[in-house]
Amino acid sequence: MAATLTAHAPARPRKLLASRKTRVGILYALPVVVYLLVLFVYPIFSTLFLSLKNTDGSLTLHWYVDALTGVNLSVLFTTLRISAETALFSLVFGFILANAISRLKPLWAGVAMLIVVVPHFISALVRTYGWIILLGDKGLVNQAMADLWVPGAPYQLLYNEIGVVIGTTSVMLPYTVLLLYGVMRGVDRRLLAAAASMGAGRLTIFRRVYLPLVTPGLASAGLLSFILSLGYYITPALMGGPKQTMIASLINQQVMKQNQWNGAAAEGVILLLLTFAGLLLVKVITSLGASRKKRSAS
Amino acid sequence: MAEFGVVTPSVEVAGVKQPTATGKALSVVALRKTYGDVVAVDEASMEIAAGEFVTFLGASGSGKTTTLMMIAGFCEPDSGTITVGDRDVTKLAPQKRNLGFVFQQYLLFPHMTVSENVAFPLTLRGVPKDEIRRRVGETLEIAGLSGFGSRRPRELSGGQQQRVALCRALVYRPPVILMDEPLGALDKKLRDQLQIEIKTIQQELGLTVIYVTHDQEEALVLSDRIAVMRNGLIEQFDTPRELFERPRTPFVADFLGAANFLPGRVLQNTDAHTVVRLDQSGGLLKARRHDLASGTPVKVAVQPGRLRACAPDDGFCTGTVEIATYVGTLVRAGVRIDGGDAPLLRLEVPAGRGPVTGERVGITVDPEDVNLFPTEQGG
Repeated sequence: MAATLTAHAPARPRKLLASRKTRVGILYALPVVVYLLVLFVYPIFSTLFLSLKNTDGSLTLHWYVDALTGVNLSVLFTTLRISAETALFSLVFGFILANAISRLKPLWAGVAMLIVVVPHFISALVRTYGWIILLGDKGLVNQAMADLWVPGAPYQLLYNEIGVVIGTTSVMLPYTVLLLYGVMRGVDRRLLAAAASMGAGRLTIFRRVYLPLVTPGLASAGLLSFILSLGYYITPALMGGPKQTMIASLINQQVMKQNQWNGAAAEGVILLLLTFAGLLLVKVITSLGASRKKRSAS
Repeated sequence: MAEFGVVTPSVEVAGVKQPTATGKALSVVALRKTYGDVVAVDEASMEIAAGEFVTFLGASGSGKTTTLMMIAGFCEPDSGTITVGDRDVTKLAPQKRNLGFVFQQYLLFPHMTVSENVAFPLTLRGVPKDEIRRRVGETLEIAGLSGFGSRRPRELSGGQQQRVALCRALVYRPPVILMDEPLGALDKKLRDQLQIEIKTIQQELGLTVIYVTHDQEEALVLSDRIAVMRNGLIEQFDTPRELFERPRTPFVADFLGAANFLPGRVLQNTDAHTVVRLDQSGGLLKARRHDLASGTPVKVAVQPGRLRACAPDDGFCTGTVEIATYVGTLVRAGVRIDGGDAPLLRLEVPAGRGPVTGERVGITVDPEDVNLFPTEQGG
């Protein structure tokens, strides 16, 4: 038995092993492949198909024309504007927070991070109602401002763009803080000391050494909160007015109230494309920045 | 090179250092720093002349880096003053001191090219663009980095990165450049090469450098003067030759010369010599004249390279060669001295005439090469 095995040995066992490996590999990958095909690839393509299908079953761009004209177009612009504002504010506050936390001792930094992240685990609905209580005409914020004789108080902080941006920013803040904190922790503080040894003042060190080093983090954090805001639904719906209708609300209305699946599908595809465009934009900006650096140096 | 300032190296006359006094570049007076109960630096004082290469040498925890950090301004002294030129900088922030600093970890700005890194301190000083380009080019050329200007730091080797860091620290002509173990992260061969480059650049440009290292050889190769530090104290601040040949404390003799120590007692003084009777062998050893009364217990310190093997009866003691290892140009021998179980006496003799294992030898030494340290009673 042993003799016959060794006689046949040279090429075959290795080949057998190799093909067996591949077969086993496919077997391992199969659940994931099936999962992705059924739950990801199929829905995307059926949505795409739905958005291109006319009521009589023929192909049409009618739904896209619809989505990009009139009220729908202004909803699209509102979505972009609110997302951009959210990205900006969550970036600014995220930067300030993360910068402060990154200077703390590890223990306190951990506590601070917990405080920043914990609200994220509370249901978005609960959080939103919390904001509504705080920001209403008789809410804590307006009451405090009135008591302090702030001119013009009470302010309208709900059911307008201010309310929406406050709400979405608070939702996005944990993401930006987490991302920026990681990047800031990665900056070698001794580089700042090196810059100081050459005579750079604090502002110069911040502008020419620190900021460039955390810029990649700023770009990705800003992009992340922008993309997440694009499709955000609950907060804008509850804290905004009719003028703050965002694309996700529009899709919801079309499906739930008008039973208009084709139009909603077109909006969904547009949302997806916008997200891709955002990703591409950041890619272009960063690579442009890099090539500019290269040129100015040579 | 003329535009880089007057070269003012220190000169040595008969082994005694005489700075060519063009003024002091930096002085430190009674500098002290404590961390809780630990005294990191204890009343350190020194004056460093312009154009001088000074090294702080010591083991870790000796206070050498703390002293450097206080001079740089990264660490605040408890007391004492630091003067650069005529300016008291003790209370100034690092950026206001106008010093250069080379770090062990290079610390080049990763988001800038080599040229931008070197240009950085110049842009801070509002130097016109054309001049920046010229000076960056010149400095990179001195360091042998022409053509590397548009590279990123991460594309360079460790040695190249440290050269860039050096350029960045000297391009703006600070009156003093501080270096904190700049070659510590490099391998031996590269370190040797860069030592020579640093020394050459320092001499060509007449730079005043304060250098921190724990490597004795590196300190000897580079320095005009070395401050040997231990436990926050400057044990001795002198030229390499003085430190080597006239150590003021047993620690310095051991640290720099890896000296042999033999206990003994002063027997008598003559005009030129002090004679010591060794405790172990009872042999008489002639040292150069020390001002020590007869009867004083002493430690005799002799470096391995200054001892010679001779016929068994000609030396101040005799013994048996227990081990002899050939290390290229030298033979290192360990000799077991008769009459006791003291540590092996270490010898370094030129290869070829070296003693062999098991041989009976006498040991002799030139009186000029013997240093005596009085030992505390009972110590």
